[in-house]
Amino acid sequence: MITFVTVGLLGLLSLSIPVGIVLFLLGFGIDTFFSSFPLSKGLGRLVWSSSNSSTLIAIPFFVLLGEVLVRSGLAARTYAALDRWVSWLPGGLVHANIATATMFSATSGSSVATAATVATVAMPQAEKLGYDQKLFSGAIAAGGTLGIMIPPSINLIVYGFLTQTSIPQLFVAGLLPGIALAVSFVLATAMICAVRPDLGGDRRIFPFSEMMRALVDLVPIILLFTVIIGAIYKGWATPTEAASVGVGGAILIAALFGGINVRMITEALAGTVKITAMIMLVVIGASFLNFTLSAAGMGQELRFFLEGLGLSPLWTLLVIVVMYVVLGFFIETLSLMVVTIPIVVPLVVNLGYDPIWFGILMIVLIEMALITPPVGLNLYVVQGARKGGKMSEVMLGSIPFVLVMTLMVIALIIFPDIALYLPRALQ
Amino acid sequence: MAQQTLSMLRRVNRIVAVLIGILLLICAGSVLLDIVLRKMGSSFGGTDEITGYVMAISTAWGMGYAMLELAHVRIDFLRGQVNRVGRSLMDLLAMLVLSATVSVIAIRCWSVLETTLANGSRANTPLETPLALVQIPWFAGWIWFATMAWVTFLAALALVYQGRFEQSEAAIGAFAEQDAAL
Repeated sequence: MITFVTVGLLGLLSLSIPVGIVLFLLGFGIDTFFSSFPLSKGLGRLVWSSSNSSTLIAIPFFVLLGEVLVRSGLAARTYAALDRWVSWLPGGLVHANIATATMFSATSGSSVATAATVATVAMPQAEKLGYDQKLFSGAIAAGGTLGIMIPPSINLIVYGFLTQTSIPQLFVAGLLPGIALAVSFVLATAMICAVRPDLGGDRRIFPFSEMMRALVDLVPIILLFTVIIGAIYKGWATPTEAASVGVGGAILIAALFGGINVRMITEALAGTVKITAMIMLVVIGASFLNFTLSAAGMGQELRFFLEGLGLSPLWTLLVIVVMYVVLGFFIETLSLMVVTIPIVVPLVVNLGYDPIWFGILMIVLIEMALITPPVGLNLYVVQGARKGGKMSEVMLGSIPFVLVMTLMVIALIIFPDIALYLPRALQ
Repeated sequence: MAQQTLSMLRRVNRIVAVLIGILLLICAGSVLLDIVLRKMGSSFGGTDEITGYVMAISTAWGMGYAMLELAHVRIDFLRGQVNRVGRSLMDLLAMLVLSATVSVIAIRCWSVLETTLANGSRANTPLETPLALVQIPWFAGWIWFATMAWVTFLAALALVYQGRFEQSEAAIGAFAEQDAAL
């Protein structure tokens, strides 16, 4: 069954059949060949129960929040404000790229949206100020990946839903690693630019009064983040409730900054429906595959398979990590996550690892997939926002950040508490 | 003819998407209102349940729009290696498999609604929502998706048959990388 699923998965995916549909097909295959009960009879009920979910409706809400915020014109102000605060470091404006991406990650649940927003406001500056475009654009692509780590994260909602782990705990668990990654990106940039000043730009030092004035532009987004995460953290609101508060807040911010009109709202709504349907097709497909796999006894087969390999839990984990890195070259984020969850998560939990911790580890690996060629969505997004220049420049500029992420993976494996400390404190 | 059909489908589904979006916005608004009311000591009650129904219905009705906008993710690693005719054939295959699978899903969804109608089932909740009320629009959404898929497949088939590969690629090609969210 393991061979069937793996070969079937890779074969059907490479035929470029939509990922969600592939998951359904595999489910049908498991039902036909490996189960003595007609599992497909339960398909309708499964489609109903997996989409009739007051938890998953947090997805469209968070998407809408991001869509509204991205279209509100807030990004340019945030970027200018953060420039005042962080560009004194060696590397100059590159740090503003990372900081703005981190800030938008903290309210938007999507990495590509984050990268696209920052790239649009930042790239013209790179040309104006004569920056070397490699590190500059790489920093946007990498900073944008934080969108799926720093809560609220749509990917973590999907992970929590499919593995039945607590979404608030996952959110809280992503906070420290997300901040640690952002800080490490800044440190790595500063170190590179201290050695090779030509890769960055001039350090920019602003008078203190200007820094304080810029702070005003940061208040709305910080406030929004604090309310959303604070309410979930304190247990005052479910993720869905917090997301609806976020939607209200984003519309209010957009209105205050004058970015709101009928056209913008309809665009945001249609975009939200499109992204939600895209996510839900793979989520429902994965739920169905999950159901057929566990009914057909995949868990037991995996256990035997592992015992047969005779690897220690740590080695097995390392094999899984390598598999994600390799698959990450070709398969994109959410799809990579969803197609592997039904197989990998039960296996990892079986080995005695914490599912919350593994969710965070998986997110770092998927962030890496976003900026590793040939298929790295954020690389394309940033390239799309540039006027000319080679794609390979963005790829080269991302390399330092891929290395930082690799260190993060190692750190998470050696010190699981980076992810687990806060969720434990929460309980 | 094929081209007109496709642009009409896109227009209609765009309207559907905005309507679904408005439904979601109203839903977010009611959750917000419910939180405020709760702080003041009262509550609508049952918001949880209703948001679930809204999610099921929105999901079903949004699928067709996402399909026409080429948002359903495909891995185009191999697809990128072949020529235009090869790409068109892969697109047609993907579309055919999608249409068939979604039809199976829609048929399976009918059995859920059928049971509900036969038993007059109500939700096992304080609201005791008659399930037919929410499952009919949900089921209709999946039928809509299946119909959209078949019509799109046939239109694209006609385009490929006429050798209009570029138009077929615009209709059922792989997603534009920049537009794919997440």
